[in-house]
Amino acid sequence: MSLLRVCAFAKCVSRRTLFDKCAVRVSPADRCPLCVSTRDGGVRRISETPLRLQRRKVSFMIPKRDDAKKRVVEQSQLLDVLKARIQQLQPDVVLDVHHANVQFVKAPSSGRGVSSGKGPKVAPKEKTDIPKSGKTLKAASKSKTSRWMEKLTREKKNKLTKEERLPQKIQKNVKEKPSGKSKGSKSGSALPGTSHKVISSAAPLVKGRARTKLSDEIRAAVSSTEVGTTAAAATVHKGPKGKQKASKKQGPVKEGKRQTEAKEPAEEMEKSLDQQGSRWTLSSNPQRPEEEEEDVEVAAAACGDVQLSIRSYLEACVFAGDVERAHSFLLSQHRVRSRRKLLNTDFYNIMMRVWAKKGTLNQIGRIFILLEEAGLKPNLGSYCTALECMGRNPGCQPKLITRCLRQMEEDGLSADDLFSQCVFRQDERDMVLKAVHLVQPDYKPRLHARAAQCPSLVQEFYTQRADHQYPKLDFTQEELQERFRQQLRLEEDCTVTIDSVEAAKPVTDHMAKMRKLLADHRAQWQKILLQALRESKMILANTNTKDYRLNLYPYLCVLEDREYVDIMIQSVASLPPSGESLKILGRDLGHRVYTKYCVQQKQQNQVVEKLRNIYNAYTDLLAKDTKECIVLPSEYWGRLEREQSSGPSLQGGETHWPYIVSVELGIYMVDMMVKNLKMNSDVLNPAFERKLIPILYHMYTFRNTRQVGFIKPHPILIQMQQDAMESKLTFDSYVMPMLCPPVPWTSVKFGAYLLTPSKLMRTVEGATQHEVLLEKCQNLLPVLDSLNQLGNCAWSINKPLLDIIISIFNDRGSDKLDIPPPLSEAPKIPHFNAQDPAYTSAEKAHMKRDVINAKKKCSEMHSLRMDALYKLSIANHMRDEIFWFPHNMDFRGRTYPCPPYFNHLGSDVTRALLLFAEGKPLGPKGLDWLKIHLVNLTGLKKRSSLEGRLEYANSIMEDVLDSADNPLNGNKWWMNADEPWQALGCCMEIANAVRSPDPTNFISNFPVHQDGSCNGLQHYAALGRDVIGATSVNLMPCEMPQDVYSGVAQQVEEFRVRDAQSGMKIAQVLEGFISRKVVKQTVMTVVYGVTRYGGRLQIEKRLKEIEDFPKEHVWDASHYLVRMVFSGLKEMFTGTREIQAEGRLAANRNTTHGWCVSSGECVGMAQSESIIPFPIIPWCQRVCVCVCVCVCVCVCVCVCVCVCVCVYVCVCVCVCVRTCCFLNGSHPPVFPSGELEGGREKKMEEKMGMVEV
Amino acid sequence: MSTQIWRGADLMMRSACCRTIRSPSSEQPGAERTSPSSALTHRNLSAVAVQGQSRPLCRYDSLDLGEVEENVRRALACKKIRHFIVNPDLAELVTQHLRPENGRSVIFECNPGPGVLTRTLLNAGAQRVVALEGDKLFLRDLQELEGRLDGQLEVVHCDYFKLDPIGVGNLRPPVMYTDKLFTDLGISEASWTDDIPVKVVGILPLRNERGTLLKMVYALFERQSVYRYGRVELNLFISEKEYLKLVSRPGEMMQYRAFSVLWQMACDIELLHKEPWESFVKSSKQRMPSSKNQLPNEHLCLVRLRPRADLFSGGLTPTNASTLLMMVKQCLAKRKVKLIDRLNLWSPDSGSKLLSEMGMLEDILTGHVYPEEYLRLFQLIDKSQEFTQSWLYEEILENPQREGWG
Repeated sequence: MSLLRVCAFAKCVSRRTLFDKCAVRVSPADRCPLCVSTRDGGVRRISETPLRLQRRKVSFMIPKRDDAKKRVVEQSQLLDVLKARIQQLQPDVVLDVHHANVQFVKAPSSGRGVSSGKGPKVAPKEKTDIPKSGKTLKAASKSKTSRWMEKLTREKKNKLTKEERLPQKIQKNVKEKPSGKSKGSKSGSALPGTSHKVISSAAPLVKGRARTKLSDEIRAAVSSTEVGTTAAAATVHKGPKGKQKASKKQGPVKEGKRQTEAKEPAEEMEKSLDQQGSRWTLSSNPQRPEEEEEDVEVAAAACGDVQLSIRSYLEACVFAGDVERAHSFLLSQHRVRSRRKLLNTDFYNIMMRVWAKKGTLNQIGRIFILLEEAGLKPNLGSYCTALECMGRNPGCQPKLITRCLRQMEEDGLSADDLFSQCVFRQDERDMVLKAVHLVQPDYKPRLHARAAQCPSLVQEFYTQRADHQYPKLDFTQEELQERFRQQLRLEEDCTVTIDSVEAAKPVTDHMAKMRKLLADHRAQWQKILLQALRESKMILANTNTKDYRLNLYPYLCVLEDREYVDIMIQSVASLPPSGESLKILGRDLGHRVYTKYCVQQKQQNQVVEKLRNIYNAYTDLLAKDTKECIVLPSEYWGRLEREQSSGPSLQGGETHWPYIVSVELGIYMVDMMVKNLKMNSDVLNPAFERKLIPILYHMYTFRNTRQVGFIKPHPILIQMQQDAMESKLTFDSYVMPMLCPPVPWTSVKFGAYLLTPSKLMRTVEGATQHEVLLEKCQNLLPVLDSLNQLGNCAWSINKPLLDIIISIFNDRGSDKLDIPPPLSEAPKIPHFNAQDPAYTSAEKAHMKRDVINAKKKCSEMHSLRMDALYKLSIANHMRDEIFWFPHNMDFRGRTYPCPPYFNHLGSDVTRALLLFAEGKPLGPKGLDWLKIHLVNLTGLKKRSSLEGRLEYANSIMEDVLDSADNPLNGNKWWMNADEPWQALGCCMEIANAVRSPDPTNFISNFPVHQDGSCNGLQHYAALGRDVIGATSVNLMPCEMPQDVYSGVAQQVEEFRVRDAQSGMKIAQVLEGFISRKVVKQTVMTVVYGVTRYGGRLQIEKRLKEIEDFPKEHVWDASHYLVRMVFSGLKEMFTGTREIQAEGRLAANRNTTHGWCVSSGECVGMAQSESIIPFPIIPWCQRVCVCVCVCVCVCVCVCVCVCVCVCVYVCVCVCVCVRTCCFLNGSHPPVFPSGELEGGREKKMEEKMGMVEV
Repeated sequence: MSTQIWRGADLMMRSACCRTIRSPSSEQPGAERTSPSSALTHRNLSAVAVQGQSRPLCRYDSLDLGEVEENVRRALACKKIRHFIVNPDLAELVTQHLRPENGRSVIFECNPGPGVLTRTLLNAGAQRVVALEGDKLFLRDLQELEGRLDGQLEVVHCDYFKLDPIGVGNLRPPVMYTDKLFTDLGISEASWTDDIPVKVVGILPLRNERGTLLKMVYALFERQSVYRYGRVELNLFISEKEYLKLVSRPGEMMQYRAFSVLWQMACDIELLHKEPWESFVKSSKQRMPSSKNQLPNEHLCLVRLRPRADLFSGGLTPTNASTLLMMVKQCLAKRKVKLIDRLNLWSPDSGSKLLSEMGMLEDILTGHVYPEEYLRLFQLIDKSQEFTQSWLYEEILENPQREGWG
């Protein structure tokens, strides 16, 4: 041990001689009293490293034994003494060094300026050491305080006071010579981890100083009080966390080493950097604080992804408990200048939070210094952690807290801000409050609700609610709370395993055998993967060569190893037989890990308990056995959160993983699977030679000159899976509908599921700019409320229908009824021997094509079948439940239910399966509406009036009743409807109603649809005050419901006849093929700006669907038709010529054509000249949510059945425009006359259609 | 380290054994050049010798190439982005490389435009030139020329690079099927080892150069499209960048791709001439695509791609060629993977056996294998029982089909 010490000392001495040499070259400096302390600082820095290094080693190597401890104490005393001596001996030398540096850089800076500049910088530095000596001091005082030690402390105290006075004196000087200052400071401080190039914030000197003083204060407090951090630190050390102790001690040791190593290069770098560096610090630093906010924005745009990566890396490290890694990572980022620019205060806060939890105040102080070095300002979060830490230390001095609070005020922050804006975890809030209470015993945080602004358009919905009340659900409070518990359990598990509907099939021997085989394999794979994961983690952990680089290691630590393996095994089971693109597979895996991590993070932060409390209180609003409320769910929830503010915050806090990270993580896992999962090649056919073959293959497919990585399962695996027909399906929990009403959306980041993270707006993966814009958006409240309204609708399953569908599904499926048949029904893939000379090359080519088509068909059938299997299995699982669909929206404001497979926007089959959970008596006219709905579903009588439709329904009652009674064995009238399954459901409902003793009192849960007719054209006609156009889209009251599509089709047919007569070939070919369906989508989308190109594609699709249309003419015909549709529309909407002209003119002038909507915002129009005769309505694809948000809550009381609340969220301005047109214009406000329309093509909806509920 | 040296040595050894691509320096293009005047007489003589009976005497003098300015003006009228040979000297040079005066091959000229090269070819004594023009704009003048000659020139409204589309639908010229074109021209199918029946000369369209080249090499291996009619020789102007990729050698990991391997395997590739972009008349104002990577792209290179007569002699057939295509593409999707891993993927444990048969090192990378070696490797694989059982064979059918020849 003594040898070590000698070495260390020798090093110091050698260094000293080095300095001496330097000093020779430099002119002697003036010895103003101010410089003295500076020199001391410099000396200490130099001497400290080796000494401290050694001390750490000492205490590390000799644990706990008493005499050993004593020895340590003595040694450290000695060291301190020695240090003090060195200090006394060396001052002059160091001063000279500073001069050397300065002279090297620029001539004019005088020694005085330099040294004075150093003042504020050095002060914190100085005290960095004090805690250390303080610690030892305390230890020493326990046994016996030596004379030397006493002297030392005295000296130190003197110096402290001197230095505290120092900055004030210096300040003036500094202001005069900022350049000298910045330079001086650069060579000044050498904290652990910041060994070189310190960038001090030059301009906000007062603040900078004050801040420095805070950290000083913290340190001072620590060192002077005997109980402060020292005690805390001591407890930490003595506590059971032996491991932590080890790691903590190792850390600084390493740092120390690194520092000494970095020393020389650092100095060189300083020199080289000085020229540009000084300019840099001068020019950019002073503006820094003001720029900060802008910086955040710019950074979000430019390097948002990198920042997000760093942040999520840090958080993952912290979550996994790897504090050392997080800390050294932050330091390494901090050290590299290019990386440091990316950091902002929040990154440092993450580390502070960790230290606050441990109660190590001096670590926090250290990070405050780092912050200052980086030229950043501490924000609320930083103060919050500081206060928290003070709150955790029982003996913390009130003086310190007061100082901290005052500091906050100086920075323009108040304690109230702290409580209203900070995100708290676990008991952080209570700790902060405790700290504040120490100095202000009767402080109560005042929380005020954010004043919500809503667009003027919907203002009255919010202001005039005197005689309104929020509708109750048909559940008691207790029921709702119980449901919440179920849902919570579900989401805590993250995955849910349910019986597939195929479970009903009998198990054959072969199936049983295959299942057994698969299960065995899985068990084996699990073991192999577990081991592989552990090994690769070990490698990753140790090969982190450059620690500022991000790697995947922390992301592989956030969950338990077993959970990763489960995710991987699950993905093997759900891999489609034709393989999956590597990127998609990786993304899914990564996303699954992320979801699980989020849920666990919430558990760790103790959010769950609080969520339960608030949700339970929230049920007051919804339950039927509580009093009426006039507030909306989001308002109520917000109020509850404010009331129950103690404990962790519910909102915010979690960081999204950047897209690239989750994909990378996923691909890493896929790679592991490809490398490790093997099976014997003879499992199915013993005739094969036994070899160990991989089950997954990484192949490439080629699209033109691009290549796409693909993961393909081995055919044997597919065979096994298909034969086993496993009856369990495992889903992510968010795939299932919710068992309780969803959490209302109260902000962009919070709502929908209980724990599973969910997005308010669906975006393309990785498109962060959308999120940034969305967060900036102020007027979202109406949108959120609309989504909540949709989400609060309870649903149930139509059980009789489900049984019929499952029976067909498990039998052989039916293409006609849209029930996909099983793969056994698929066409056999023809086999042929390519080498056979009997075939000609043309025949071979033909057969090849057949094979390809058969394969394609098979994979299509498989995916359709699986989709149906998922939907039906989920429905079957929920058959006795009542459930809710949480909603979100896409970038246009179109709303969607979050659960992907089974929801009310699905196909005919899934829609037919859903009923409202809450029934209503039919009332006097309800039965009639049911009948009209039935006719609408058949797609017949499109052009009849409502009376006509009702009449028709009455005339076919026999068929209806027959369909209801014998759906599969009767006349099967329902099977010919456009939407057969919904029609069948409606038949059954009608039958039940008719046969009930009193149809008016029959309770029905059946949904009846209402729809607008070509909404886009409606707006357009309204804009142009075009009466004829308005009539054709039912904006004018009319006897008959008008059908614009049929009208256009008719017009096109007229053109066609004319052209056919004039001998045009394609017009002749098209005879008899022009129907409403062919033109419908194009007509509908014309107003949304569909081009001739897109329109042609739409028509081409329709024509291809017509079986007997000659395929070779599709191209020409679609070309011809799209032209005709456009001119037909032009013909029909004659009254709108003015607008067209205006629109064109504007487009030609290349100016923005705009108008003001009532909300006062101006609306720009798309500028591009389009080939369409219509001005393009400013569809908000680009302007997104920012333009204007308008919600038109039209509560359509669907007469018969239920209160179907159609919330039509329309981000687009056109609704506003329509409203204003009507309000100011000559037309009386006419709303869509409620043309009932049943037939809606699913595909069309996907593409363009209106989604209404 | 030692393995590196080993690998380098191995590479050198093998390269010495393998056929090398003839570079321009290895052959003097002007060596056998005949003077224009002698070529002219030659043409006239041979014309007399072959079909002198039908040829009017007044056509003995050479065709007028037209004013350069006039030709430039006509070329610039074209709306598509195209390059034209207008400079008579350039046309002369191309003609000399083609040696139209000897040999019985038909010359297909793709997109002649104003017809400078066409006339030069005819002047040099070409006996049969087929001008395949895709743009109606130039068609009339060419047809007028066709009418003035008797039989040496045929003009077809057809775009050579759009032959045999994959999709279905009614075709309109300039898109057409090969069999129609060849039947109309009266060219019949020929055996692979026969003489070269057709020489194609033209400028590869800049749009999607690589895609077009890929499509053509697929057709070559499967003996589809024009290659049903024998070994069609291509003399194409290709951008320098693509040319360098085409002839890249193993070890150039960035450029050595599947399509270079396939072309080198199938053809003797010869660089005939390099001509700067400026010598061509460009019909659109658009800027030339500048080379973003390190490859130079200053020239258009006249490259001769002559299919090897012995390509199908060693076990490769048009039917199993698709497997070869697949294999090469899968191997070279990444150049820095070990070949043995790829082989083991298709048939476990047989990789090392194959490599030892090939005399290669165990750790050879896919980017270090010569085209000829890939061909031999494939022939070995095709013979081995283990591989034909492999499901790789099933994969093959769908993939190249997707973008290859119908």
